[in-house]
Parts: sequence; C-alpha cells; structure tokens
Amino acid sequence: MKIFLRRLKHTNKISFFSLWFLLFLYLLAVLADFIAPYPYDLQHREYALCPPILPRFFHDGRVSPGPFVYGIKVINPAFKEYAPDLSRIYPVRLFTKGPERTLMGFLKTNRYLFGVNGEGKIFLFGTDIHGRDVFSRVLYGSKISLSIGIIGVAISFILGLLVGGISGYFGGKTDTFLMRMVEIIMMFPFFYLMLALRAAFPPNLSSVQVYLLIVVILSLIGWASLARIIRGMVLSIKEEEYVLAARSLGLSSFRVITRHILPATFSYTVTALTLSVPGYILGESALSLLGLGIQEPYPSWGNMLSVTVGNLRILTTAPWMMIPGFFIFLAVIAFNFLGDGIRNVMDPRNW
Amino acid sequence: MERILEIRKLGVSLRGIGQERIRILQGIDISVGKKESLSLVGESGSGKTITAMSVMRLLPNNMYFDEGEILVCGSDITGLEEKELRDMRGSDVSMIFQEPSAYLNPVFTAGTQVIEAIKGCEFDRKGRTLNFLKEVGLKENVFYQYPHQLSGGMQQRVMIAMALINNPSLLIADEPTTALDVTTAYGIIELLKDMMEKHGLSVIFITHDIALAVNFARRIAVMYAGKIVELSNSEAIFNNPLHPYTERLISCLPERYKTGDRIRTIEGKVPDFRNLPGGCAFHPRCPYRKDICIREKPGETIKGDTTVRCFRYGENVEAE
Repeated sequence: MKIFLRRLKHTNKISFFSLWFLLFLYLLAVLADFIAPYPYDLQHREYALCPPILPRFFHDGRVSPGPFVYGIKVINPAFKEYAPDLSRIYPVRLFTKGPERTLMGFLKTNRYLFGVNGEGKIFLFGTDIHGRDVFSRVLYGSKISLSIGIIGVAISFILGLLVGGISGYFGGKTDTFLMRMVEIIMMFPFFYLMLALRAAFPPNLSSVQVYLLIVVILSLIGWASLARIIRGMVLSIKEEEYVLAARSLGLSSFRVITRHILPATFSYTVTALTLSVPGYILGESALSLLGLGIQEPYPSWGNMLSVTVGNLRILTTAPWMMIPGFFIFLAVIAFNFLGDGIRNVMDPRNW
Repeated sequence: MERILEIRKLGVSLRGIGQERIRILQGIDISVGKKESLSLVGESGSGKTITAMSVMRLLPNNMYFDEGEILVCGSDITGLEEKELRDMRGSDVSMIFQEPSAYLNPVFTAGTQVIEAIKGCEFDRKGRTLNFLKEVGLKENVFYQYPHQLSGGMQQRVMIAMALINNPSLLIADEPTTALDVTTAYGIIELLKDMMEKHGLSVIFITHDIALAVNFARRIAVMYAGKIVELSNSEAIFNNPLHPYTERLISCLPERYKTGDRIRTIEGKVPDFRNLPGGCAFHPRCPYRKDICIREKPGETIKGDTTVRCFRYGENVEAE
C-alpha cells in the first residue's frame, strides 16, 4: 500500500491529488452533522434565494478582530433582493452551540464547527427557494451521493466477480447459461433500464427505502459487463499451475475461485472499480433530477439540481443553486483521474 | 503387506474430435506398499504424469477412465464424487510438481499457503505450520515471504510442506527436481527419504532421469507410449535391464561415458498417441526388432523379479 501510494505520487500527480481530494470529500460527508451550520430541512422563509454570505474581515476599512458577517437587509421580498445590513455585525465563531445532532450514528454533539449566534445567518453557498442553506444541504447530500457510488460498486463487484468466476471456472453449461443472462442485461440501454426498474416500484416509499432501491437498481445493471470481463480473465488464470496445485490439495471449488483465481484479477478489478464509481454517482443524480430518486426534503446532489432545471429565472438570478452540480463534476472527475492513475500504477509495463 | 496404492489394469482415453477415442494409458498395473517408493521413468509423453493425475483424479476434462480401478488405501476412487475426492486429496494422497515457482500462488506468502492446506479444525495453525516448515528444513522467516523471494529449492520445500502437512499416506512427486540444480535436487531427495522414514510415507517418484530413480526408489516402472514396459526393483533395472528401451535409457547415462565418447541417444522419437505403431510400440526404434514385434503386441512376461513386455523373453501376446 505504501509502495502503491509512493508510486502513484511519482507517476501521476493529478491522480494522487484526486485521491486526497476524494478522501477530503468523504470526510466532509461523514462529518456533515458536525460541519453543517444548519439542518438540511431548516427553512429560513424570510431569506429565500439569498446569495452567498461569506465571512468578512474588514469593517469600515479596518481589520476586525475576527471574521464576521453582516446582518441581512431584505430590500424587496417579492423579487428576493437582499443587501448586507452594515449596522449589524455578528462574529463567526468556531464550535458554536446548537440543538444536539448525532454524528456517524453514535456520537452525540451539540457543538458545530462554525456558526453565527443570534440573529445573524451564514449561508456560504446561499439559500434555495425555501430558504434552506445550500452549503448544509450539499454536505448532507454528499452523504447520499458519495455513498451510493461506493455501496453500489461494492454490490455489483461482488456479483460480477462471483458470477464471472463461477462462469469461467466451471465452463460448459453453467458458463453458457450465465453469459446469456449477462447478455440479456447488457442488451438494454442503461438509462431506460434504470428508469423502467425504478418505475416498477411504488413511488411512495420512505427515503431509506428509495435510497436502498436506487443502490440495488444501479448495481443490478452494473455487474453484467464486469462479470463478462472477469470470466475471460478466469478462463486464462484457471490454467495456471498454482490452481492445479490448490486443487491437488483438496480445496473446494469456491475456495479455489475466491482465493486463487479472483485475486489474480485484482489489478484490473481495482481500476475498473474506481472508474465505475462516477457512473453510480451520475446515475443517482440522473434519477433524482427526474424526481425518481431521493425525495425532498432529503437532499442529494441530483435532486438539489432538479429545482434549477427548467426554471430559467432561478438559473439566472441564483447561480449558486448550481453548486451541487459543481460538486458532482468534481467528484466524478476526481474518480476518473484516480482510476487512470491506478491503472498506470497497476500496469507492470509502466514500472 | 498393506497396499497404499493399487492400480489394476488402468486404461485412460482421450476424447478426440468427434467420436475419436485416443488411448493414452493401457493396462497400467502398479502397487505401492507402506513406506515403499516406486519410480515411474520414461521420456516426455510416455504417460507418467497422466498416471499420476489419474491417481489424483485431476485429469483434464476430455480424458476419462475406460477400464481398471485405482485403489487408494483399499477403496476404489475411480467412481468418487467431487466432494469425496476433495477429502481424499491432500489427506490421503498429495502431489508436488515440477516447477515450484509456477505452482505456488504469487500473491500469498508461503506461510498463508501452507496454512491453507491444513484440513480440519485446529487452534494453532500457525504454530503447526512453523514447526512443519522447520521440519522440511526452512527457517521461520520463510513463513512471511512471498514465493518470488524464495529460491527454487526453498519453493519446492514449501510445496512439500503444503503437500505433507495433513500427513497423507501417499505422495506423488512429479519430477520434483527437474527445475533444480544438482545439489539442491540432492537436498530435496534426502528430504523426501527423511519424510518417508519419519511419517511412514509412500512415494511415487516420477522422473525422466533413470539414475535419480535408481538412487531414490526401491522399485522402478519404465513407461513407454502409455504402457509399463518393465517393472522391477531398482538394482535389477540398473544392472540387468531386460527391455531394450530400458537398456537404451541406461546406456545413455553420461556417467557411463568415457572422455571423448559421443553422446548417445535413442534413435527416433516417442510416438504420437494418435498414431501408435502397430505391434510393439517401441519396434521402430528397437535394435532387436523381429517380425513378431511388428505384427503383435507383447504381453507381460515374468522373468525373476521383473515383469517385462518384450518378445525377446517369451512369445506372450497381449490379449485384446
């Protein structure tokens, strides 16, 4: 692992940076409850579509003792025009107190990373049409959007490896049957299959059910092509002498496949795994964008974007609503760079 | 005496294209007792490895038994199910191979692979593995090393540890020293002898080096074109070979040369199984060829301790 990281650093700077960037994103997702200044469903009705309010350091031409925000003056509530109220100053504090939240499912915290006390508001990425803090929602949304990629990939890879391994190892009728199944799945266009599968389930599910459903749908589509490639690799690896040796020691077929054949495919698998995470993130976004994914008020990067789609006024007057899309873009491109780098590092010809 | 392995009239065939049936092994008859060693000798393509693989029941999918039986510790294994075979492999019969570097999985440490070979439940698998590694003459740190970090001899010792850790009664060694240099090979041979002594192990030793076979095994079976042409104890084979093929093999040994001699070979080559010569399969290369050799297949003739298939020692024709 250490050698791997060092090699990644030396051969491919961008993918090394992507790795750290992704780790950072996942850290944000895990710590969302601690970092987000507001809950994802807290509506500041009076401040809907408020532009980003960033911490400031200068007041009246002088350096202030610490970062602060001005109060918000509503100029025209109908047209959502706001201006900073220079007379009210609220210092930005670290570790502010607030209602208790549960972190990572077991840690209770009533202090958040930063916040503003009293009447002041800090909206780093502005607010949406209901006056919810976009920054907080991006953090909460990343929990869903980023984890769907990992979990979906995990499920489809377990399926793909097992089916591909069994198919390649046993050959004959098993092989024919499994591969025809794979072909049936691969026959359908990805996106329409996804829509059809989603439509097959009732629309009024709880958010957890929807989340699980999306993961399952995405991974049920994703495993087929992997199974096919793994099968091809297994066909050649099973002729290796150490496989014969393992069989001569009396190991069961399952053990021979999982212990001796599949590990030899990992240099390919790890790369394919990284490169297919973006597909899941985009898949979730696409479903949510069409209103078939995660339901309001729960945020995901996809359904946060869906508000802006088809609403030109919001798009022009509140461009900060596009920020979730920017995060999708960053995550996807980082995964692609990382996958590229891993492929280079894993390829023995580049050593 | 208790027979660990008894092969009776074994025949193995290859399913060719269409209905074609190519006979690979015919009428193999060998038996190995407890603590005994038997050596299978012959050129490449004479059926030694197929015989070994038949005992392990690891034949390729397109080969099948067409006659005979294989008794391991008294029970026939030719009809066993895959699950019963798994119980047999490793715990009754084990195998080591020619090229240890290819037969060890490159992605696991030596220790992991030996531990994996242990069957049944046990608490101290690691301790047992470490002890066993010591027993086969390896240091403890080998446990944590990957196959590519070990020398050929050490790799073969790891293979031996894997094969013997369940205390099988029979070990099949398929040219275990071919890939090794002479001194390392000597060490492996000594280790095998040692293991036979200590664990009451029987060994089938497959080699094409008849000198090594004579050195190692008490009995030797010389194979040619899928048949055992001569079966005897090692002194008889070495000092008084009966079959012309055995005779040729021994006269080719470099130890028998004087300086300046040309290297002797056996004229011709091993016949193709698809296209075996009629009569005695060896007749195209045999210097003592008679008319009958071309027409008839020689049956087994017993002469002293030796069983031989050659018309020079009797007119026994093989029954079809």
